Amino acid sequence: MSRRRIVAVVSALSAAAALAASLAGPAGASRISVSVSRAQISTHLGDRLTFRSTVVNHGQTAARGLIAHLNIVGLESAVYVDPEDWSSHRTIYLDALPAGESTTITWRLQAVSAGDFDVYVAVLPRRAIARPPTTGPAVRVAVADRRTLNSGGIVPLALGVPALLGLLALAVRFRRS
Amino acid sequence: MTTVAETANPAAERNAAPGWTVVVEQELRDLWLGGRGLLLSVAFSLLLSVIAYLVATNSALNFLEHRESVNLVLQVAIAVGGLLTLLAAADAVSGERERGTLESVLLSPVARSQIAVGKVLAALSLWVAAFAITVPYAWFLGRGVGIVSDALVTGVVVGTLLAVFLASLGLIVSLFAGSNRVSLSLSLFVLLALFAPTQLPSSAQQGWAGELLLRVNPLTAGEHYVGKILVSGHAWTQDLSWLASPLAAAVVLAAAAPILGARFMLLRGGVAG
Amino acid sequence: MKPAIEAEGIGKDYGSLAAVRDLSFAVDAGEVLGVLGPNGAGKTTAIRVLTTILSPSRGRFAVAGIPSTRSREIRRRIGVLPESAGYPERQTGEEYLTYHARLHGHTRRSARAVASGLLDEVGLVPRRGSLIASYSRGMRQRLGIARTLVNDPGVVFLDEPTLGLDPAGQRQVLAHVRKIARERGAAVLLSTHLLTEVEENCSRVLILNRGRVVAEGTVSEVVRRAAAPRSGRLQVAPEQADRAAAALAGVADVARVTRDGQPGWLSVAFASPEARREDASLNAAVRALLEAEIVLISFQLEGARLSDAFLAMTEAA
Repeated sequence: MSRRRIVAVVSALSAAAALAASLAGPAGASRISVSVSRAQISTHLGDRLTFRSTVVNHGQTAARGLIAHLNIVGLESAVYVDPEDWSSHRTIYLDALPAGESTTITWRLQAVSAGDFDVYVAVLPRRAIARPPTTGPAVRVAVADRRTLNSGGIVPLALGVPALLGLLALAVRFRRS
Repeated sequence: MTTVAETANPAAERNAAPGWTVVVEQELRDLWLGGRGLLLSVAFSLLLSVIAYLVATNSALNFLEHRESVNLVLQVAIAVGGLLTLLAAADAVSGERERGTLESVLLSPVARSQIAVGKVLAALSLWVAAFAITVPYAWFLGRGVGIVSDALVTGVVVGTLLAVFLASLGLIVSLFAGSNRVSLSLSLFVLLALFAPTQLPSSAQQGWAGELLLRVNPLTAGEHYVGKILVSGHAWTQDLSWLASPLAAAVVLAAAAPILGARFMLLRGGVAG
Repeated sequence: MKPAIEAEGIGKDYGSLAAVRDLSFAVDAGEVLGVLGPNGAGKTTAIRVLTTILSPSRGRFAVAGIPSTRSREIRRRIGVLPESAGYPERQTGEEYLTYHARLHGHTRRSARAVASGLLDEVGLVPRRGSLIASYSRGMRQRLGIARTLVNDPGVVFLDEPTLGLDPAGQRQVLAHVRKIARERGAAVLLSTHLLTEVEENCSRVLILNRGRVVAEGTVSEVVRRAAAPRSGRLQVAPEQADRAAAALAGVADVARVTRDGQPGWLSVAFASPEARREDASLNAAVRALLEAEIVLISFQLEGARLSDAFLAMTEAA
């Protein structure tokens, strides 16, 4: 079996597991399931990445007022995560989803911090009170660090430029006085 | 009856430089060899040094914040460079009036429009210097995120448009102000008023009214364009419409300054002679 | 042949205030015209109109043969030292003159040569490289005079050039003024408060008051026209002072006799009829004293001065 085929099979099994997990969720939310197109993504700092999530209505009636929301969680406490930095379009208001139908959302993000993160989609009904959201499986995103700022050399620059200009100013003043 | 002696210097005049170049040259000498320009440059470089040091030594900075830091340096350069240019131009006529040196310049045969052009160009040298000082900082901070050329090109384009606008505005205010204090205060007030919309909450900046306000204001429009290139990574042409108001403001006021200078560069502020 | 300055009916209004009214005069090349007037008479306004800094409300003029409609050409031919001229503190004297020479059309090289020559002429060569901030008031005035000459003008306007100077400085400046007219053949219009300056340096005088010309001509013409009262002081023996005062009071030409404060001294003011002869008044007074057998120890006749004419004309208006 080729390597690509193995990966495809694993993804399908993961999706099936996610479906089962969502179907086994709390009552009231069980008719909606969320699956993702990728289980894990490896990328570099600053790169842009995409994945798709599919929302399926397993119920007998149309599901209205659904909201899909993207969340990003840092797996290391030292890494600060501001989801707004990763994507400015994290909330999608879905059209009414007929019974048995599905809709696919494409999510676009930029990896602005290095480290390991879980990215997941939560779907919740707009008007329901105290009803838990349906979450899809987390996509593991591994962002390799790319050293974007070498702090070495800042001190000579920070001191050197003002010093040079200051000397020039003094020289001109001395010459003119 | 006694004749009038012919005293013109026709040979010299044939080879003489245009009046505005003579004015520019002397104004530049006064500004830079007189010491004021260099002192302002030192102060500006200290400001950039502090910002660059804080950014460079912040190991927790994420990628986007890094790009935002480069954007910040450019925005500071454009804002401070523009401010210095505005104030230099606002002092150009009203300051000379108060120092008593304007009359002797007005008594020369150089056209007043040329005097105005010369003063505006000399004021612009402060923007040129501010940008030149910014280059090493932008290079140092931007090289890691690959936006050095973007930063420098957007900076020079947007900054120059805004500097031309502000220099012309400052000169026009200076023509009409009754005193140098009024000229400087009014110019500063106008600049702060133009920057004020940037402090509005982001919700107020949404919608057609908020966007219109940001687009019409050359300073906020220019700032928006630079941010989209440096932080959001947009292509050059994607937000080109945001450059409309900086370009229009620069062209209109740069044309108005010499025209108004020809008519209103008088011994008293704005008073018809 | 046209005069260097010709003004006809010049008027300048500031709203409802007429700063200058119906100013008409002419100045020939090589002549120094003194312009006198109390504060607010319109001297500076008149100069600013003639030098194209201000546009006139009425009238017309020509400077160096150029009509007022061609203001830039006029400015090419004139040199002006304004009353309240300021100087850029951070420029050297040489830079200042070079700049203004270039503004008047000189190339960089010729401007430097002109500046050098003028600094020598006004005696500022030792301070050519010093900042103007270090110049005394007298040096600044000399620098200002040098600046008026950068374009070798045919007409020079000097507004209060000796203001604030000590007597030595005033003498220096006025020497330059005479030299400008004599050696360069330029017409000079000198506005001043100091009447002695006009008497000693000007061939003609123009007196302004409240924007109008109240007198014009040579100094003696103006004095005669003003018919200023003549006066004198005489000294007799102190015990004869009362009898001398009584004898003089009886003379028809004597307008007033007063004690001078010092014993034996009397001040005598003669009447000022239009056609009174000076010697007849004096003879009548002396004859009266002799007939009263009063010994005349000393007699000082004070001649009519420009200051007397000036006061008479400006106070009467």
